[in-house]
Amino acid sequence: MLGFSIKRNYAKGCCMKSNFIKGIGLIAGLLFVCVPIFAHHGGSDYDIQHPVTLKGTVTEFVWANPHCQVFLDVKDDSGKAVNWTIETLAPAVLKRAGWSRETLHAGNQITITLVPSKKGTPVGMLRKVVLPDGSELSGGSLGEQPPQ
Amino acid sequence: MRKSFAGSAFALAVALAFLVVARAQTDHSGAAKTADKAAAFDAHDLTGIWNPAPFMQPKGEVNPLDLGGHPNPLPPFTPAGEAKYLSNAKFIAAGAVLDCDPFGVSRNFFTPRPFEILLTRDRLVQHFEYYDNWREIWTDGRKIPTDIDPEYMGYSIGHWDADTFVVDSADYNGKAFLTWQGFPISESMHQTERWQRIDADTLKIVFTFDDPVNYAKPWSITGFWKLRKDWVLDAHPCTLSAIKEYDDRVNHADKLPGRDYAKPDNK
Repeated sequence: MLGFSIKRNYAKGCCMKSNFIKGIGLIAGLLFVCVPIFAHHGGSDYDIQHPVTLKGTVTEFVWANPHCQVFLDVKDDSGKAVNWTIETLAPAVLKRAGWSRETLHAGNQITITLVPSKKGTPVGMLRKVVLPDGSELSGGSLGEQPPQ
Repeated sequence: MRKSFAGSAFALAVALAFLVVARAQTDHSGAAKTADKAAAFDAHDLTGIWNPAPFMQPKGEVNPLDLGGHPNPLPPFTPAGEAKYLSNAKFIAAGAVLDCDPFGVSRNFFTPRPFEILLTRDRLVQHFEYYDNWREIWTDGRKIPTDIDPEYMGYSIGHWDADTFVVDSADYNGKAFLTWQGFPISESMHQTERWQRIDADTLKIVFTFDDPVNYAKPWSITGFWKLRKDWVLDAHPCTLSAIKEYDDRVNHADKLPGRDYAKPDNK
């Protein structure tokens, strides 16, 4: 759909109770994260059912309200770099997930899992990042999460 | 002799096992006492930072975070209230929440971000992290004045009814939304809240909205919050310059259509 080599993370059908419960938790989490999308992303929407994973190079990291932004050069199959606009939640929420304004810098090679815009534009909402040292940070959560 | 030795060894083993079990029970009892102490709380102490727990809301109520565009169930609208809701929802879908108007009281509560409660001699003060909104609830026995101008946040008074903090508010200006979905508020609205600290870490609030202009009968939402002792609130003011920059960099990158900032007539 997007013309990039991306790893799709479709939910797999399964009859196991634990997976079902995890699925419910995931859906609940996605619903919470929908709130700021609704709040600031106007009438557009993200394809929350089909997260994608991108590897690329950070060109800019904006630490600001209402939502932080990561700009990421991602090479497509032909080797041409496309600059993705990836928003996150607010700095206050990211801080509670372990982020700071120094978490990312231009030139960092990172891997981001995001939910893409339904329009097919290189725009998305961050779910998770793998940093250059291999550590992972989530995109944070809104409100308390149900006990697992 | 061998039997006697074996019997003594068995008796010693039983005695040691008894001692171990007894010690373990003592430790367990001690831990239980510590847990009891940790769970002890003052039901009248509401101070601290509270983070919303929307998953605890009872099923079947109007869900203030049902943001898919078709909330179900809906409040018991009057025809006029339903028309205003539909107009507000269209306005919100066009990006209206990008403005920095005050949220009013209930929409602040139903934003999934924490708030802090502070106490002064004559007021309970709420500081909402999102957009840095503040609310005062007067606790000095006064009544809601009848001669003041209505405001976004209305005018709130509170008193204790046993272990329930009861808040009455009115004097809303009718310009805010009740929730993110755009449920309307009129100047006639009287809001009641019943706050209960139901355990050391959980605050429960039952909101009742009585607004005969927009709703055929009073209706309620139950909310829950969890105490976050290790948190501090962060700065998240609403600044038009930051929102415009975000709009330019993110929304325009996503080829969103132009926004309609003309507000609907919510009167």
